[in-house]
Amino acid sequence: MSESQGLIIPAEWPSGLAQSVRYGVVLRPPHYAWDGDKFTCDQLLEVAPLHDVSLSGNVDIVMEGNFVGVVADSLLAAQEAARRLTVTWHPDGDNGQVAGVSPIAREVMRAATADEIAVSTAERDSQRHDHEYGWPSRMGWGDVPSWIIADCTADSLRVWGQTATPETLTRDLALLTGLDANSISLSVTSPEQISGLGRHCGDDAVVDAALMSHAIGRPVAVWLDASYVRDVHALGLAQRISIDAEREASGKILRYRNRQAHAASDVPAVGLLLSGAMTDDAADEARASAPGETASESVRLFSPYVFQDECLSARSEKERNASVETGSTDDTLADVQQAFARESFLDEVAHESGQDPIALRLQHLEDPRGIELIRSVSSRAQWQEAVSMSSGPRDTVTGRGFAYSQLPDRHQRVEEGVRSAWIADVEVNRITGDVTLTRLVVGQDGGPALDTARLQQTLQARVLGEAMPLLGNEAAFDEWGDGRRNIVTPVRRDSAMAVTDTAVTDMPPGDDARLTSMSGLPDDVDMSPGVAVIANALFDATGVRFRQPPFTARRVRQGISDRDMTSAAAIALRAERPASRWLKVTALTAVASAVAVAWPWKSAIAPISRPAANVYSAQTLERGRLVAAAGDCAACHTAENGVVNAGGRSFETPFGTLFSTNLTPDEKTGIGRWSYPAFERAMRHGISRDGHNLYPAFPYTAFAKVTDADMQALYAYLMVQPAVSTPPPDNALNFPFNRRELIGGWNSIYHDSTPFSPDPTQSELYNRGAYLSEGLGHCSACHTPRNALGAERGGNDYLSGAMVDGWEAPALTGMSRAPILWSEASLYDYLREGKSSLHGVASGPMAPVVAGLAELPEYDVRAIAHYVAAQMDAPAGDSLAMREEAQSRVARSQTSPAGMEGGERLFEGACASCHVEHLVPSFSSATTSLALNTNLHSASPDNTLQTILGGVHAEHAPGVGNMPGFSDSFTDAQVVTLTRYLQVRFAPDNPPWRDVEQRVSAIREEHRNASSSHP
Amino acid sequence: MTQTLTLTVDRKTHVLAVSPNIPLLNVLRNDLALNGPKYGCGLGECGACSVLVDGMAARACVIPVSSVVGRDVTTLEGLVVDGRLDPVQQAFIDAQAAQCGYCLNGMIMTVRALLNRTPMATATQLRTALEYNLCRCGTHIEILAAAQRAVILNAASSQEASHE
Repeated sequence: MSESQGLIIPAEWPSGLAQSVRYGVVLRPPHYAWDGDKFTCDQLLEVAPLHDVSLSGNVDIVMEGNFVGVVADSLLAAQEAARRLTVTWHPDGDNGQVAGVSPIAREVMRAATADEIAVSTAERDSQRHDHEYGWPSRMGWGDVPSWIIADCTADSLRVWGQTATPETLTRDLALLTGLDANSISLSVTSPEQISGLGRHCGDDAVVDAALMSHAIGRPVAVWLDASYVRDVHALGLAQRISIDAEREASGKILRYRNRQAHAASDVPAVGLLLSGAMTDDAADEARASAPGETASESVRLFSPYVFQDECLSARSEKERNASVETGSTDDTLADVQQAFARESFLDEVAHESGQDPIALRLQHLEDPRGIELIRSVSSRAQWQEAVSMSSGPRDTVTGRGFAYSQLPDRHQRVEEGVRSAWIADVEVNRITGDVTLTRLVVGQDGGPALDTARLQQTLQARVLGEAMPLLGNEAAFDEWGDGRRNIVTPVRRDSAMAVTDTAVTDMPPGDDARLTSMSGLPDDVDMSPGVAVIANALFDATGVRFRQPPFTARRVRQGISDRDMTSAAAIALRAERPASRWLKVTALTAVASAVAVAWPWKSAIAPISRPAANVYSAQTLERGRLVAAAGDCAACHTAENGVVNAGGRSFETPFGTLFSTNLTPDEKTGIGRWSYPAFERAMRHGISRDGHNLYPAFPYTAFAKVTDADMQALYAYLMVQPAVSTPPPDNALNFPFNRRELIGGWNSIYHDSTPFSPDPTQSELYNRGAYLSEGLGHCSACHTPRNALGAERGGNDYLSGAMVDGWEAPALTGMSRAPILWSEASLYDYLREGKSSLHGVASGPMAPVVAGLAELPEYDVRAIAHYVAAQMDAPAGDSLAMREEAQSRVARSQTSPAGMEGGERLFEGACASCHVEHLVPSFSSATTSLALNTNLHSASPDNTLQTILGGVHAEHAPGVGNMPGFSDSFTDAQVVTLTRYLQVRFAPDNPPWRDVEQRVSAIREEHRNASSSHP
Repeated sequence: MTQTLTLTVDRKTHVLAVSPNIPLLNVLRNDLALNGPKYGCGLGECGACSVLVDGMAARACVIPVSSVVGRDVTTLEGLVVDGRLDPVQQAFIDAQAAQCGYCLNGMIMTVRALLNRTPMATATQLRTALEYNLCRCGTHIEILAAAQRAVILNAASSQEASHE
């Protein structure tokens, strides 16, 4: 049916809903957090009523406790209303943080403590081992962006959406609405999302929608996308498990202590916590009353191993009720969390004490069935043989991990429970962080008459379902592809999956009851070692220990790069106390930058022979291709009608003429003999391989912000392109600018090589947009004015517009002179399609930029539009007022001004056939009226004159339209006459340009030079 | 730099190795030997080069050939179906609306595009539609008469078509 902001409302929406549904957007408090026990957030003081009459349709504000939602007739209207709503919050002082710390610093500190658990690379060799493991409250924001709809009436609640934890979600919804669980119907997407790994933000979105629907009495749709990542961060960890152990010199563990920090394994939906519906009492009551659940499962600790001195403890407020049936979702999750911590810990002990991980476990097992199973699985998987390293690209590393578990059966009988041993092989791309599960050998001793084929089938389906949230991408500023995994699939679908059946068959066969229970998702398939086995394999492959799922590409990449940094500075830091790890990170950064400064700035980096093409895997090259597209290398490094990236394009600067260099991997004229360090130095510091300084026309000032992973992928991509031998022409710079060594001084004053760091107070979309715009996209290289020495000005001048290569790059701030204000939606159209109906087409140097952006995923282009819109303080969509203003401007320009017959004649002869609407449907006419054209409303005539003389040539952006240049058919005087006419007719409120005559001859001169230098 | 482009012109598919940036007109005349569209001003001003792209008028001298990939291009030649002239072509013959005839391709294609959207175009609408098609011989009166006859023939032919 309808479309709003490019989100097409699905055809499969239940009939009737499409007509009655309204759209909700939530406003979360500036600060809200879950600390493991309690929820803290800023207090809602006041919501100022909306006075803005330009908002179309009805807007409802939903307030409950600290929950604020805006409901309107379209998503766009709701977003716009939410943006304009003034909400006052009282900062929550009592959240256990250091007084006087700014909210940003607090966020950073909190993120740091979570990351401490997430990844650790510290080595220790003492005989005491002590590690902490975490489990996130939300595994991620969801599977794919989608609509979540809730229809809440007095006696029923219907929900359409996605969830991985339907039982827990139903519990939350019952608590929210006071309805009986039977009156709540969930229509959730594919059941394979039920991974058993815990909740994702689908649940939060469902509760948001239900809350708003409950309040307004109509169905409400909420758009679940990466913006929900904020909930993932705010909720932090659901569970912390710390384990410590002491071992004797022989390697045997003497004392083993396992402490679980929190009573529950899951955290309620954010809407429930904000609205106040979930008080601590209510939470306990819900747990106690929900069928099959008590708080007791959190103390249901069990370890299959036998240690001399063992202590397993967990916090619990409720009496243990031993008669309770087990097998609920919560229970399974607690088992997975326990198995993850225990099996990761034993793997760490094994590595730290130089023992084989399997041998260590066998040493502490007394159960003969378990021992036999592990032996069988390890021989089946050929555990002793190293994972083959020879074949395959060299940017990937491989590793193998092991994990084991034994769980009591449904009647709490440990001896009869399922034993499960897993060995996983993974392949990790060091550059992109992508993890591929290449082989999985699972052995299960499931008691009697286990159907091996069935088990294999179940495992295959469930492992795929489980690995998706575990290994998938996540929305982040340096992630490509919107968390949709549209670039790579983390699990190789043809991966070998072997199952050894039970080695022990002394149970009486033919137990019909157990066979029946195998239908559906069998309870007795134990998935709990599945997370630990991947963490252990990842450690084997990368040397990085991940102590908290998920193992997304971004975390893996980050872990590897931190490890590289740590090993460089390891000697200096080995003696540090573990408690000061946060300080350590700061110290590391300092050390790393000190190393960078001490780099041999001026010396050449030794040439290498060109790397072989098969060194890099497809994932790396695909990432590199996107990086190159976002950085738009080809726009500058391709001469007119030249070979892509072979260089030779000329640039007129105030300091003389520069030519771009050959970026193809040709060994003589290109970068074929550049090593990665040489390439990186050039990109971040502007120094060529041979040591000479590059001119800052090459925006290394922006590229310094590019992350290591992107930089390496870009290098890989460029090195496998076809080599083209083209020596670049010599630069023709005026003295003193032809002295490159002066750039060294320039760099020390103007170049900031600090890497990009995201702003924790902003959304993921904003940070992604900022990363792309400030780094790779180098928007400011053209759109920020430069000082007399060619350095970009800062402060209010940032993105305030500048002249580049004879064209004006208009302001991307509030100083924009566009006759109709830009909106985020218009910016997106312009960047994605090369045209916007209220502003016109991309032309001049912007046309190849749009062509480059066409390669990027939609999310990235949206992110750039979002970031630029924020700089302009632009609204989300084009309002009715803006459209009316556009119509009135077009209407006013219909008549030709009197007394300008000369200009009118030129216009009618040369321009009107395409720029005047004359009833005939036309493919070649301009679609946007000149009355809306930014160039005619600018303070300078340059872009208008460039267009008249040179035309519009958006060859690389199909559909944008083309215009011939008139430099050969108009005299300077005619161009002046026409320009004056255009301004009076189409931009009457703009003061007439003063210097049109001089600019015409100057720009014509540039065109003449350009055409003579490219015969 | 040449590329291999697939074009649909007059209901036939052509695979051509051409530079994607050269004007569509050059490809039609030089590579496909379709000489209905004429080279006039080369700046999109006179309309002699007009063709239809997806049924809309297009000045073939100013659009790069790459911009019509995946679209239906129709030239003056392509208006003839199974040996039968398009009613607009027939009307221009009936009204003998030519002196040198160089502009006629554009006149016919523009009227065709107009009638696709406005089948019962009035005399004033025809005048506005043809405002930016130039004729140097001064045959405007005959051309307008032909255009008005085209409306009648076109209506008759579509009625016929709906009866078949």
